[in-house]
Amino acid sequence: MMNRMKIWFFLVMVGMIAMALTLTSCSKEVSPAVNDAQTAASSPSPTPTKSVLQTPSQLKEEDLGIVPVSISIPAIGVDAAIEEVGTMKNGQMGVPQNIDGVGWFEPGTKPGERGNAVMAGHVDSLTGPAVFYKLDRLKAGDEVVLKDKDGVTRAFIVTGTASYPRKDAPLENIFGFSYQRHLNLITCTGEFNKEAKTHEERLVVFTELQK
Amino acid sequence: MKMKKYLVALPLSLALLLPTAGLASASDHSHGGGTMTTTAAGAAEASNKAVDLRAALDSLLSEHAYLAVVAMQKGIDGKGDFDAAAGALLQNADDLSNAVASVYGEEGGAAFKEIWTSHIGYFVDYVKATGAKDDAAKKKALADLDDYRVKQAAFLDTATGGRLVAKELEEGLKVHINQLVWAFDNYVAGDFDKTYDSLRESIHHMYGVGKGLSWAITDQFPDQFDSKTVDTPAAELRASLNHLFSEHAALAILAMQKGIDGAKDFNASAAALNENTDELSAAIASVYGKEGGEAFHKIWSSHIGYFVDYVKATGAKDDAAKAKAIADLDKYRAEQAAFLDTATEGRLKAADMEAGLKIHVDELLKAFNSYTEMDYATTYPTVREAYAHMYEVGLGVTSAIVDQFPDQFAGKMPTEMPQTGMGGMSHSKSSTSDILMISLVIMALAVLIPFFIARRNAPKS
Repeated sequence: MMNRMKIWFFLVMVGMIAMALTLTSCSKEVSPAVNDAQTAASSPSPTPTKSVLQTPSQLKEEDLGIVPVSISIPAIGVDAAIEEVGTMKNGQMGVPQNIDGVGWFEPGTKPGERGNAVMAGHVDSLTGPAVFYKLDRLKAGDEVVLKDKDGVTRAFIVTGTASYPRKDAPLENIFGFSYQRHLNLITCTGEFNKEAKTHEERLVVFTELQK
Repeated sequence: MKMKKYLVALPLSLALLLPTAGLASASDHSHGGGTMTTTAAGAAEASNKAVDLRAALDSLLSEHAYLAVVAMQKGIDGKGDFDAAAGALLQNADDLSNAVASVYGEEGGAAFKEIWTSHIGYFVDYVKATGAKDDAAKKKALADLDDYRVKQAAFLDTATGGRLVAKELEEGLKVHINQLVWAFDNYVAGDFDKTYDSLRESIHHMYGVGKGLSWAITDQFPDQFDSKTVDTPAAELRASLNHLFSEHAALAILAMQKGIDGAKDFNASAAALNENTDELSAAIASVYGKEGGEAFHKIWSSHIGYFVDYVKATGAKDDAAKAKAIADLDKYRAEQAAFLDTATEGRLKAADMEAGLKIHVDELLKAFNSYTEMDYATTYPTVREAYAHMYEVGLGVTSAIVDQFPDQFAGKMPTEMPQTGMGGMSHSKSSTSDILMISLVIMALAVLIPFFIARRNAPKS
């Protein structure tokens, strides 16, 4: 009799946790609308020069990197806040705390800079879909828009997608340097391995800066 | 364009590009005696095949920008050292083409050389047209430079198998061309602050090109570079120090020439040298703290002052004052060497440092003395040696710092992909049934909980 009571108690707890998680994943954060047009447009006007020479427009390589605070992917209805993540003790790239947030790998490249900026989002929670659930539906040409705290935006265009075994992804290509300005989005895909408590593959959506 | 996709003795040819002297022994010390940790990607290595390639290309590309600006100034002024300066620029082009050939074969190197030297020719055209006040010829030179950009970008796109994208390269080359033309136009117009700002920017710009090109090559031929990457914190530090040390030598030599010539741009050239000192001191401060940076600034600035003393004494034909300046430079060497020995906790040995600094001081004096003696055939090869020597200094100091603070150079790349799913929406059948089961349990609980409560509350019979 007691054992059965314990089993029921356990099931009740599981049920409550499941309900709680379902509720959490439903409470999608609404990122505040930022008036980006004003800030982005207010670039400093060129200072008057002593000489009569006209300053050429491309005298310096532009620093296009931003510290992103939000991401929007219209094609799959993503509009999410960005959390900064790093590398975990076990060597894995960190993941966002919020199931509906997106983690930017902060020790790496800033989006817009030369190189590979990387972001990761969950495909699902324990009970339902998460922010990058539909990431696999993205196709070449789709747009990803990032915004920084001042409302400056950077648009990236999807160039391709690939799936890799979770232990055998080409990390250098995903996280390493590139002369181009890339943003790579990662989520889980493939079978869920219940023993390892993780999906067997990682989906990477490759994008490049639209200039 | 036929490209040989194999490497021909790359390490050897790169070793030949960078003369080893002085500080090489210092870096050996830090390798041998330290606790350097190595990783697969070579994160904490100041030197490996990939990072060395980056340094070699940084050296040649940035030296190109410097020599181009100098040659254009000498050209428009009709100075006696124009031919020697232009000759050094072409020597640099030879070295760069050899480096390209070591990666892409003889044909690749020759094709590169033809394109690369064409743009040097167009700059010369621009200088000549400016001297002749021939606007049409100036426009023609700029149009030729535009054509060059397209050819150069296409070459590198093809050679690197698309790792360097032509469109991006064309933009980068546009910046390079604009910087050189801007430095020159302002020089002619007498706006020397802009001249030297643009000179400094044009040198700095080349480090981005060097990184991009070395990245593409190491990515293309990983086996030839032990699969090492050019993008590590240690490689970044080395590139920064290489940049600031070599720019110091370049600007010091130029300022000394301007000084003895009583040139109108002397002040601006000296100001550029001081900016370099400030940035170098800030780099030292970022490692050894504010006080360390300030102490370095004081010592480093002193030697620039002694060079100025030497130039003044030369102008005044005052041999005693020249001897005093050299004695002061000797004292400086000891002070600077002691500073580095202490800061790096003995990783850079004072004796090695003094020897390395002697090379630097001697090269600058030789470049200057030969310039005043109009022995330009000596001046410009010496300029090139002095420039390359600073890359040895950059390597030595980087090795010591990386060895001293390994934690700061451990690398930032994750070793595994993130865990971005919990399985709730997994498409596998088992977990769909899990969700079904949980749902059933929840529904069952909704029925059963009141039942249990009722039963518990029921009076016992």
